[in-house]
Amino acid sequence: MTTLPVGEREASAEAREARLAWRLVAPALTAILLVALFPLGWTVWESLYHHDLRMPWLGRPFVGAANYVEALSDPRFWGAMAHTLFFAAVTVSLELVLGCVLALAMNRAFRGRALVRAAVLVPWAIPTVVSALLWRFMFEGQAGIANALLTATGLTGPPPVWFIDATLAWVPVVLADVWKTTPFVALLLLAGLQNIDASIYEAARIDGASAWRQFRHITLPLLQPAILVALIFRTLDAFRVFDLIYVMTGGGPGTSTEPIALYTFTSLLQNLRFGYGSALSVIVFLVTFGLALGYIRFLGGGLAEERA
Amino acid sequence: MPVPTAGPRSEGHRPHNTLTFNRAGWQEGGRLLARAPVRCYRGRARAWHPLRPETVAIRTPLSSRVRRAFLPGLLLLAAGCGRAPAGGPAVVTLPISTLGAEGQVLRGQLARFAVLRPDIRVEQRATPDAADQRHQLYVQWLNAGASDPDILQLDVVWTPEFAAAGWILDLDRFRPATDSFFPATIAANRWDGRLYALPWFVDVGMLYWRTDLVPHAPTSIAELEAEAARAMRERGLPYGLVWQGARYEGLVTVFNEYLGGFGGRMLDRGRVLVDSPQAVAALTAMRDEIYRERIVPPNALTWHEEEARFAFQNGETVFMRNWPYAYALMQDSAASRVAGRYAVATMPAAPGGRPTATLGGAQLAINANSDHPDAAWAVIEYLTRPAQMLERARVVGQFPTRPALYADPALARALTIPPAQAREVIEHAVPRPVTPVYTELSEILQIDLHRALTRQQEPAAALAHAAREMQALLDRVGLGEDDDVAGR
Repeated sequence: MTTLPVGEREASAEAREARLAWRLVAPALTAILLVALFPLGWTVWESLYHHDLRMPWLGRPFVGAANYVEALSDPRFWGAMAHTLFFAAVTVSLELVLGCVLALAMNRAFRGRALVRAAVLVPWAIPTVVSALLWRFMFEGQAGIANALLTATGLTGPPPVWFIDATLAWVPVVLADVWKTTPFVALLLLAGLQNIDASIYEAARIDGASAWRQFRHITLPLLQPAILVALIFRTLDAFRVFDLIYVMTGGGPGTSTEPIALYTFTSLLQNLRFGYGSALSVIVFLVTFGLALGYIRFLGGGLAEERA
Repeated sequence: MPVPTAGPRSEGHRPHNTLTFNRAGWQEGGRLLARAPVRCYRGRARAWHPLRPETVAIRTPLSSRVRRAFLPGLLLLAAGCGRAPAGGPAVVTLPISTLGAEGQVLRGQLARFAVLRPDIRVEQRATPDAADQRHQLYVQWLNAGASDPDILQLDVVWTPEFAAAGWILDLDRFRPATDSFFPATIAANRWDGRLYALPWFVDVGMLYWRTDLVPHAPTSIAELEAEAARAMRERGLPYGLVWQGARYEGLVTVFNEYLGGFGGRMLDRGRVLVDSPQAVAALTAMRDEIYRERIVPPNALTWHEEEARFAFQNGETVFMRNWPYAYALMQDSAASRVAGRYAVATMPAAPGGRPTATLGGAQLAINANSDHPDAAWAVIEYLTRPAQMLERARVVGQFPTRPALYADPALARALTIPPAQAREVIEHAVPRPVTPVYTELSEILQIDLHRALTRQQEPAAALAHAAREMQALLDRVGLGEDDDVAGR
């Protein structure tokens, strides 16, 4: 066997190593391919056909972008998009503010802190469907506790019927989501708070910075990575909201609380319009993907600069 | 039938050499070797099928121990695993609700059928009770071309959908005696002039009224509203009338009755008529009953059948629109405050309309891919016989689809509801639009009805929108007015 020049030998060793690396990650890549990319590709493929399980006499013709055109010219689709964005914006900002307050409180050293931290998690531990039912009962008709309280305060005349009013129906929905997911945000932020070095605060106090200035110029900037994580998780979750609204309002009254996930579900699984439903799914995927990218560029980019 | 068990122990016969396969299983000289059902995995449906009973005489030098251990297995192979037995019992599968009394009645009836027709074996498939879940499941099975289940229990609005899709057999080949059923129930099961399902039991929307609060059933919508308001005023009842107002199929069934009451229709062939002046008047009347007359509680816009029943049985309302199931439940005085103080009638009409009851109920149809359509028909024919219908009426309170039974004193004993009252409502029954895309049309309509009733839109605007969307759907799938589709 002839010996290779040093450079070539290194190159071949590198190539060998690269091959080994590929072989080692192959199972993981295959798994990702099978469970993530394949269904995604299939959905995209399906979305290019007119395929309605309930009307087999129409066949399954290739229609190109027609399903997307139909979606984009469908007022119900835009309505659902608007509801989803509204829901995401309102719930995520409320959860972030309340979660931050909770996290700051839990970060203090006080007696029974462990107990409080555990107790805060209870709403998060309850399955969404159960908490949705809980909140629906609370806001239901005359018998609901919400209306009983309103009547007791004497502020309003006849108590409202929450679920038949296009605007008021959002109140229980938003409350239920905030109640359920604030603890999750609080916990994420608490983890972030505990990573901040206490000596920085000490220095700030010595320099005479007020509590607000400490929060504004130390806590918030250093909490940014945790906030980013919480934002990404919560926005994407809120954007895909389904079970909560399905149980509480069913998207009603009319379709005035219908989020995009519920509309997709109805089209795809209830009306069995596979082509159109797939097109909707692809749109939802693109939007959530775009949102995630945006967050990482916007918040994560700034982060990287600071680190550098 | 094959000869059972072993032959006589005489003439040098070795009885233990005779293996028998019958209902109980594989037997040798009266000893059970393997318990029935002995089945093998085969067929287009890729499912377990029982083997036909037959006697197989085995003469073999093997020791009885070895034989006992291996022969049943060998025989399974020998008995033709892999292809359908020619003369064995036809296996027919039937999806049923396994819950409560309904499942029990059916199991009893099938057991009697098995005695009557030993050549047919009915296997039961447990399926979900919720209509839309069952619908989804059926559509997925039938799309895949499954031959199993052979018999399908259909909701009345599914028949045209399944017929147009070619998923169920047309039943005319079996020459069913259609004139012994209520005409409306037969009309709802016809598509393109042919019958695709046989009505099993009938459901109708009916007006429940309190016999202690009003002298007689209202004869017009105006009278109903006036009586409701009067009883609320004089008796201090919180509501006058309750119906199902949530955004679901139930709302369309209620609207269908008001619509008929005002002389309107939803669909005429391929033309959508829900924006007609009659339809607008009907929807306006429903809305005004909530906000102007104030006899229907706004809460009813989130109600399904059960919430309405609770209000009625708690004595909170004079009238209720609901299905027959509520009648027997509310006679139970332990749970109901109105036991014995109500009767039923058809929803009344306005001048120019006719009293209308929305037709519901279950039908039986045969899977177009069934391997045993004749056996399936025999099962359907048996289950829809008068005696079986009477039993269903007695145990689960379901109305027979045969008008002749309503004169039978046995039905009066079987039903808690007086048969004459029931029949009067059924005679007014009107099917919802008989079209393959009914469920999608209904979904569009539900949304716009609910928008108008929750005052997000005026009735006329909401119905105009619904009509546009519904017409667009019909045109898109080739069922519109100008389309000439093979399915119609």
